[in-house]
Amino acid sequence: MTELVYDIHHQITFRWLIALYFYFTGMSAGSFVISTLAYGFGLKKFKPAGKVGVVMAILLLFIAPIMLLLQVGWPVRSVWNHFTYLNFHSPMSYGAFLLMMYPLNSIIYAYFMFKGDMKKTKMFGMIGIPLAITVHGYTGFILAFGKARALWNTALMPILFLVSAIVSGIALMILVMMVKDKIFSKEKKINKEIVYTLASMLGWLIVFDLVLVFCDISTLAISHAEAKETAHLIIAGQMSPLFLGIENLFGKFIPMIIVLTPKFRSIRNIAIASVLVVVGILFMRFVVVYGGQALPII
Amino acid sequence: MVIDLRKCIGCNTCSVACKLENGVHIGVWKSWVKQIQKGEYPNVSKSFLPLMCNNCEEPICVTVCPVNANRIEDNGIVSTDPHRCVACRYCMAACPYEVRYVHPVKKIVEKCNWCLHRVKVGLQPACVEACPTGAMVFGDMNDPESEVSKLLAKQPVQVLKPEMGTKPHVFYINLDHDAVEIKREVDVL
Repeated sequence: MTELVYDIHHQITFRWLIALYFYFTGMSAGSFVISTLAYGFGLKKFKPAGKVGVVMAILLLFIAPIMLLLQVGWPVRSVWNHFTYLNFHSPMSYGAFLLMMYPLNSIIYAYFMFKGDMKKTKMFGMIGIPLAITVHGYTGFILAFGKARALWNTALMPILFLVSAIVSGIALMILVMMVKDKIFSKEKKINKEIVYTLASMLGWLIVFDLVLVFCDISTLAISHAEAKETAHLIIAGQMSPLFLGIENLFGKFIPMIIVLTPKFRSIRNIAIASVLVVVGILFMRFVVVYGGQALPII
Repeated sequence: MVIDLRKCIGCNTCSVACKLENGVHIGVWKSWVKQIQKGEYPNVSKSFLPLMCNNCEEPICVTVCPVNANRIEDNGIVSTDPHRCVACRYCMAACPYEVRYVHPVKKIVEKCNWCLHRVKVGLQPACVEACPTGAMVFGDMNDPESEVSKLLAKQPVQVLKPEMGTKPHVFYINLDHDAVEIKREVDVL
């Protein structure tokens, strides 16, 4: 029998503020990508989503960095030092630039969009796509570089974050479009076509997301000792109700069934599915951030 | 740094000396001694594992720090710059040895730097000087005549988590696998 007699307490590194930061940047990047489908790539179907998307992207990206500034010990110094003492090996250094450039570009893009200058809108939309992808992909990189934690240290992390970002972005956009049309439009009627198009996109992206999650977790489960423990923790341990139940069953699987089965498809059900997704992805961020640190490493 | 666990008696003098020398805040530690007990009477023993920053050769904390606050000094010690650190905690998340903490008042990340201020003027780190049994040996690995080089040449040694590829610089003689494996549970939620 082996017993631990004495060890010290370690501080928890990243907390809910970081999880919320990932959540907000994710939804921002997701809605930006949808917004460029019409104004960047010229897919006419998505035109009603264009303006809503960019406004959401900008608003969410104003909230997100506030979470970061609340998390760090020295908020003002952190903004200054990120630019003066740059470390090119650190994903967080790139993040500082992205978090400056992406909102700026989004504002310019939105300005030309509302002004009706389609040529310039398209240009800034195209610049914005790689920015939106990297601004959220880098958050996955941040976790992937945390090599002490088995759950984070995987090359899938940036992709996993991107896909879940677009999923949550679309879901939130469906909800915002519904509310906007219902309350603020002249006809007081929901634009069914766009909602259905977005919903089927949402469904297939959730399928992709589930595949990625399966790849990630199954690889963890046969990998080295700490990875196995982590996989056990989120599949069968303390975190499993959050991971399996809320994140994957209610947050992904049920909405996927709702939006992809023609029988269940109605405006009301799509709204329910979207709410489930938006909540599910929030829990996904929490599971990733806290699950990575739930096991002692020394 | 070589720690001969055959000589370690778990007296915690190193932790106390460290606290005194570096003014380490209450509730946090730069170096500490993990203690385990195994077996049942009469086949029973205790193992001790003094832990501190490994001052790795390829430290992940230096890689991930966004403001270049961590750097490798000329003598190989990994130091942190209190004026650059903004406590983003990225180094804490990435360190495989969990030796870093946020100072509760100063709000910057600190860790053991083998008493860099003492080493620079030719003194031994406080823990090494305080160790009553001489279990801790500190010196220059590049000098073949130094005590650490001799121990490393003659004794079977082990490091913690070699699989992390950080090339840690604290070498243990007689490291007990059980003392490494058993860990205090974390309560994140």
